[in-house]
Amino acid sequence: MTDRLERLVNLTATLLATRKPLTLDQLAERFEPPYPDDKAARRRQFERDKETLRDLGIPITVEPLGLGGEQGYRIRPEDYYLPDPGLTPEERAALHVAVTAVRLDGDEAREGLRKLGGLEGTAADAPFAELETTPSLAALFDAVARRAPITFDYRGERRSLEPYGVVLRWGHWYVVGHDRDRDAARAFRVDRIDGEPEVGAAGAFEPPPDVDPGAFLRADPLTYGEDQPRIARVLVDEPRADWVVEQLGEAVVAERRVDGSVVVELSVVNREAFRTFVLELLEHAEVLEPAELRAELVTWLEAIAAPATGEAGP
Amino acid sequence: MSPRPLAGDRLRRVLALVPWVLEHPDTTLSELARRFEVSERDLERDLELLPLCGLPPYTADRLIDVWVGDDGAVSIRLAEYFDRPLRLTPGEGVALLAAGRALLAVPGSDEHGALARALDKLETAVGARGGVSVEVGGATHLATFQAAAEAHECVEVRYYSFARDVETTRVIEPERVFHAFGSWYVAAWCRLAAGERLFRIDRVRAARATGEHFEPRARPGDGGGELGDLVYRPDPSDPRVTLRLAPEAAWVVENLPQDSARPLAGGGYEVVLAVSGPAFLERLLLQLGPLATVVEPPEAAESARAAARRILARYR
Repeated sequence: MTDRLERLVNLTATLLATRKPLTLDQLAERFEPPYPDDKAARRRQFERDKETLRDLGIPITVEPLGLGGEQGYRIRPEDYYLPDPGLTPEERAALHVAVTAVRLDGDEAREGLRKLGGLEGTAADAPFAELETTPSLAALFDAVARRAPITFDYRGERRSLEPYGVVLRWGHWYVVGHDRDRDAARAFRVDRIDGEPEVGAAGAFEPPPDVDPGAFLRADPLTYGEDQPRIARVLVDEPRADWVVEQLGEAVVAERRVDGSVVVELSVVNREAFRTFVLELLEHAEVLEPAELRAELVTWLEAIAAPATGEAGP
Repeated sequence: MSPRPLAGDRLRRVLALVPWVLEHPDTTLSELARRFEVSERDLERDLELLPLCGLPPYTADRLIDVWVGDDGAVSIRLAEYFDRPLRLTPGEGVALLAAGRALLAVPGSDEHGALARALDKLETAVGARGGVSVEVGGATHLATFQAAAEAHECVEVRYYSFARDVETTRVIEPERVFHAFGSWYVAAWCRLAAGERLFRIDRVRAARATGEHFEPRARPGDGGGELGDLVYRPDPSDPRVTLRLAPEAAWVVENLPQDSARPLAGGGYEVVLAVSGPAFLERLLLQLGPLATVVEPPEAAESARAAARRILARYR
């Protein structure tokens, strides 16, 4: 175990300090603690070490050497060294408070902070927030940082995006940017992306200066969808009126009535989301217009209200 | 996170602390132990290992030189290739920025303070300026509960119970205010219920600090564990409902706490859910419509029919 750690430190140091890539034979020749003499065992051991380093964020590059088909290894300084952010002790202490006040899955925020000089000052008194994390978030953030386009399956469609940022809103992560096929700004919910996104070549685009990823998300989830937009007017009774206004913003209020109810005006681009929203309010809301959306809701409810036929459903 | 071999963890620590010591030559063992969250014993073991490490041919001038004084002062020489920290992994970068942005987004944070400056510098260092944005939102009565929890002051609230679709007025003793699943909550002792209760702050319709102070109890969540567990805590005494869900309703399985979820042929599920109140079940069945069938109890299906009729009455 100590031998392995010693070898990993030496491997990192050697590959980082070398100016030209080293072959595995060159490495093994002078290396301590020595790699096994047996070629296959040596290769296995080296691959394991490489993997451990990669998990820590240390990429070993493989470069062809000359004509013999031989390969050399090294760690490129630009892949290894963090450009010095120049944090002051006070700023490091602020990050310490942040990582102890806000909980995320895993320990990666603390690991990152250790690389930046460890824990300064005191921890937060108690955690106050827990943020969702989702498996492909790190890969998406990496694509943002490296300006690499991504391709992924989303609700049965292949989408291609120049990602400008990741945004957490309403408790969910979104990746936002320029949709290459639609040639327009788009946002996608990260946990609805099917599988791992495919990441293209780095440096393939330049985000607009001072881009604000938060501005790519519309005010509320109701406005997400690709249906033909319809303006709907919904009457919300007093018991739920202030909640609806708080959720959707004052701008949607078309009318305030003396009994405390409000009429809100919404642009419906996702009929399913709209129906869900209205039904969330139970009998405290009524779709006033358009007649078409009103009729759709009535049909939906009539199907539920119909007496049981004794037939099992889906 | 996937389990890592121990050697990886120690390597990670060594690669983090060596650059620090190189830059701060008068640091001490106890300072390092605190800063890198490691026992002094483990730290000494790491430091004992380093002089065996270096570059081929491993002669004295090529090995890392570590010196620990009697007073605990630590210095390191001959490790110039480790003089700057290792890059952050994308996972570390996004986690740090997300935590920082979340704290900064809380109403009342200093937008130009040390945290804001730290995050700007970090974003520049990882090449993702403005790349992580976190919104925790505000809730109208958030500040009232934050101040009351801090001062141990009682608050009279008018609260909309989502599960039962009724409004009640009660006096609560706010213990902890927190954000999870995109909403703000206050965990409190409720005098009306004479028990610990959780209130979603956006469902509070009015809040007024009464001026009366309470004796603080052990706060929920103080013993560690996830804040979210405070939210997703179905009551064992709540009635249960068994639903058969179509594949399109799989979000129910992903989003609602459940006793069990049995996959069905064709992609659907049979789930057993706790019913926290009649309105909870009505909403769920109204929203799912044909995508859900009640297996049992039969009264659940009847409650959905009754709720649908109640709403339909508005449209006639």
